[in-house]
Amino acid sequence: MAEWGRTTLEMIVQDLQAPVRLDESFERRVMVQVRKLYAERNPRHGRGWMSFATTFAHRPAWVAALAASVVAIATLGVLRVHPRGERPATLGKPEPVKFVLVAPNARTVAVVGDFNNWGLGDSALLATSNQGVWSVTASVPAGVHRYAFVINGKQWMADPTAPRSSGDDFGMPSSALVVEDSTK
Amino acid sequence: MESSDAELVTRVLHGDVNAYGGLVSRYRDKYARYAVHMLGNREDAEEALQDAFTRAYRSLSRCEDPERFGAWLFRILVNRCRTSGARRVRRGQTFVHDESALLNASEEHPAEQRMWREEIERAVGELSADQREAFLLKYVEDLGYDEMSEITGVGVSALKMRVMRACDRLRVLLKEVHSG
Repeated sequence: MAEWGRTTLEMIVQDLQAPVRLDESFERRVMVQVRKLYAERNPRHGRGWMSFATTFAHRPAWVAALAASVVAIATLGVLRVHPRGERPATLGKPEPVKFVLVAPNARTVAVVGDFNNWGLGDSALLATSNQGVWSVTASVPAGVHRYAFVINGKQWMADPTAPRSSGDDFGMPSSALVVEDSTK
Repeated sequence: MESSDAELVTRVLHGDVNAYGGLVSRYRDKYARYAVHMLGNREDAEEALQDAFTRAYRSLSRCEDPERFGAWLFRILVNRCRTSGARRVRRGQTFVHDESALLNASEEHPAEQRMWREEIERAVGELSADQREAFLLKYVEDLGYDEMSEITGVGVSALKMRVMRACDRLRVLLKEVHSG
């Protein structure tokens, strides 16, 4: 038994430890599933989003004009960016807010802010691209918020068209956002 | 420099879905070996591994220690193989060899080696699922009993017993080959 244990067992293990190699088609199949899950988690919703996207699709000049900038746009007229320090008293009713980033070279764009726990866990808002124009619509409670864009999963960027927030979270740049309650 | 598991997990959680490809590439072959030996054929193994990767992606925010993503994924795979193995038993399928692995072996080793390998595959396939799991984790994946216990949810003493019985069973099954 001892001899078997030392020699034959080692031979068995050596044989079973031989590498098993899967080809790249396996990785492609997995990533097809993963991207499908990603798409299911981040459906495009809201008429305002769709009409906005369509507008860009038919007006490439807009894309060029905006290519160097980042814009945050509110749908249904609920968003206004106020000067720093002008804040509603408390957080209120969630309102749809559309974030748009023109970044033709980006592979991914996400929006993180205090309204989604700065993207911790899987809470980052994942934008979808239309000819390099990335956009995502989110329900953000009425009130003052800080947010930023995350490019390619690692590069934080404040919105250059919005006021910088008075205190940058995590040492990263962020912008100020004020969402007003549409019912008031 | 190659990104760590934690860096890739963070990128995925921040919306860089392509970063998940780095994790798939990193662990696909390593864990394919376990799945192939556990399930006995490449088709079922690939299906189980693919399912483990997609389940891991779906639950990625619940990966408590992204630096140990590999261990967390492996636990998912072990559970998935159990489910797949149980299903196979219910269907009454017989254990089959990894045909492509045997084909590769035939190109690299003499006939005796091929026969030996076939005997090993057959013998491992004849172990009970519990014994095969414990044997593969202990000797092929080279895990300690504490790690095995964490992955399987089975107590250390029970795992030691399973490994011992697996070795005894393999000894009996391979006796003729060994003596020959």
